[in-house]
Amino acid sequence: MSWAAHHTERTSRWGGRLLPLALVLAAAAAPAQTPTPSAGGPVPEAKELLRRMDELYESSGTMAEVEIEIVKPGRTRTLRLKNWSRGEEKALIVIEAPARDAGTATLKVGDNLWNYLPKISRTIRIPPSMMMGSWMGTDLTNDDLVRESSYEEDYTSELVGRSADPPGWEVRLDARAGIAGLWDRVEIVFSFEDRLPVEARFYDRKGRWARTMHFEDARRMGGRLIPSRITIVPEGEEGQRTIMQYITVEFNVDLDEGMFSLSRLERKR
Amino acid sequence: MSTTTLRIAWRNLGRNRKRSFLVLLAVALGQLAFLSTAALMRGYGDEYIRSLTGPLVGHLQVHAPGWREDRSIDEAIDHLGETLAEIRRDPEVTRASPRIMAPALAAVAEDGFMAMVVGLDPAAESHESGLLAGESPGARLGAKRVLVGRNLALRSGIEPGMEIAIVGQDLDGSIANDLYTVSGVLMTPVDMVNSLGIVMDLGDAQRLFVMGDRAHEIVVYTRDLERVEGTVERLKALPSLGGTEILSWQEIVPHVTGLSRIIRGFGLIVLAIVFIAAASGIANTMLMSTFERTHEFGMLLSLGCDPGRLARIMAVEAALLGLLGVMVGTALGLTFVVATGESWFDYAALSGRDAYEVAFQGLHLTSVVHPRIHLSDVGVGVAAVLLTAFVSVLWPMVHIARLEPMEAMRA
Repeated sequence: MSWAAHHTERTSRWGGRLLPLALVLAAAAAPAQTPTPSAGGPVPEAKELLRRMDELYESSGTMAEVEIEIVKPGRTRTLRLKNWSRGEEKALIVIEAPARDAGTATLKVGDNLWNYLPKISRTIRIPPSMMMGSWMGTDLTNDDLVRESSYEEDYTSELVGRSADPPGWEVRLDARAGIAGLWDRVEIVFSFEDRLPVEARFYDRKGRWARTMHFEDARRMGGRLIPSRITIVPEGEEGQRTIMQYITVEFNVDLDEGMFSLSRLERKR
Repeated sequence: MSTTTLRIAWRNLGRNRKRSFLVLLAVALGQLAFLSTAALMRGYGDEYIRSLTGPLVGHLQVHAPGWREDRSIDEAIDHLGETLAEIRRDPEVTRASPRIMAPALAAVAEDGFMAMVVGLDPAAESHESGLLAGESPGARLGAKRVLVGRNLALRSGIEPGMEIAIVGQDLDGSIANDLYTVSGVLMTPVDMVNSLGIVMDLGDAQRLFVMGDRAHEIVVYTRDLERVEGTVERLKALPSLGGTEILSWQEIVPHVTGLSRIIRGFGLIVLAIVFIAAASGIANTMLMSTFERTHEFGMLLSLGCDPGRLARIMAVEAALLGLLGVMVGTALGLTFVVATGESWFDYAALSGRDAYEVAFQGLHLTSVVHPRIHLSDVGVGVAAVLLTAFVSVLWPMVHIARLEPMEAMRA
């Protein structure tokens, strides 16, 4: 993978002037693998790309049915769950299959995260120290699931340039100082055509490449164009990955506000 | 060397009793310092190794390959019952303790906290160097009862009688969760257990994590801490331990050998100080007496005394001073060791505080130390002092050899 020019987008006003210069430099620097200079149209703003990514699955009322396949060497497990969320503040996930785990739920309200275990009828709040831990044994972290960290707010962003493999605009994010439990650095590639995320590489606090997320199979669901499959591949773990497949998604559904509450969680199950 | 030389040398020492006594005292104190330090260092080293090879590490450990690095719940030792039986049949093995260790989320009220579930066999761990040393087996574990590490209990407000929920990941990948009763608080020499541990019966842990007849670790104790390698080799040959990794305590905590070297190095520094103290004492004495007796030597030489004989007398004087001093010092040193050896030496008591226990790097160290001495320590001190005595007498001997009798008599 190579990319050409390296510049920071300040305002789109400057973008137009810098672009020809950048392209000349690009053509001179790495002739072999660079995609054609005009691919992708005008250079986007990093912040805009990230905001779109943050809002990809968000709405005033999102309802989704998701299948998660957890692949490990020697065994594969499939979870089926329902996910409701309101904006970026509230979310509820309830596992429907397999039967052993059915009824297990995760609730997010603001910065708080709880797990409900039906077998013992207990609701347990997940401490901040475990936010980067695995959610339900998948390669997703608790943090991923509840999107406590916003890409736009918690990281400083920079448009790195064009990526050849996968092709797209590459944005580099560096964690802001003082915020605990984040990835130290994330590199995201957005497709030229529809500016959707295609691949994201995550680096841990020690700067090591920890995992890659592949956003695949973009299609219209619930009236929006979204990647319908997200595959998370941890680095250094042979034969292990988690595949999240959206079965159905609906946006801007009228959701009962009361569903995002602990008491409802305990009563219903 | 004849007895006359010896008698003359001895009498020469008596000619200035005060000075001879002071040198003797210096040497004696040096040897005392060396011996007591060596004894304390040895005792400390022993205590360190004991604490290390006690509950935490044991004499040797058995694991599934890769578990020590990954700590993955599914990297477990299979056919646990069979494996334990075979290990226990070995003649050198005194005990084998199976353990399960898995991270989990725990909660008594709504707020969860990170914990480490430690599943163990109460019968095996109630032994004096086990995690449950002093407990009667089964008193507080089994039937879904747990013991919580003391620091964890204090931090999270856990008290006996409370119900605790434990959530983790089982061998199938499913969510392991169940409720347990806190039967008590546990204080062990292992820091990790005190700060994060929720200890339960092995069977309960196996059921929680759907592990069947498996465990993550078997800690084995043998008759002789120093000869563990032989047992390791024999266990490696056993059929049921075929796919496992077996390590001796030296391989698990290699930095301990480094510590022994540091301890010995420290002893050498003290020895060097002893060396210098003895040397300055003896050298000073010999130099002074040489110059004082220049006139006398001149007279003896002019009467036909062999300069070599004079030099020999000087050397014997120095040696006698040194040996006497060392003997006194050794006697004092041995007294110290014997006196404290019985009642243990408590560093903390010296500074007026209570005996303490300190957790450092996962180890639990006490302020109480059992000083111990080796005959070689005494021998080292003696050799050092004798060497110093001779070195410090070299210059005076050369001086005597070069004396011009006539000039000397006129001094």
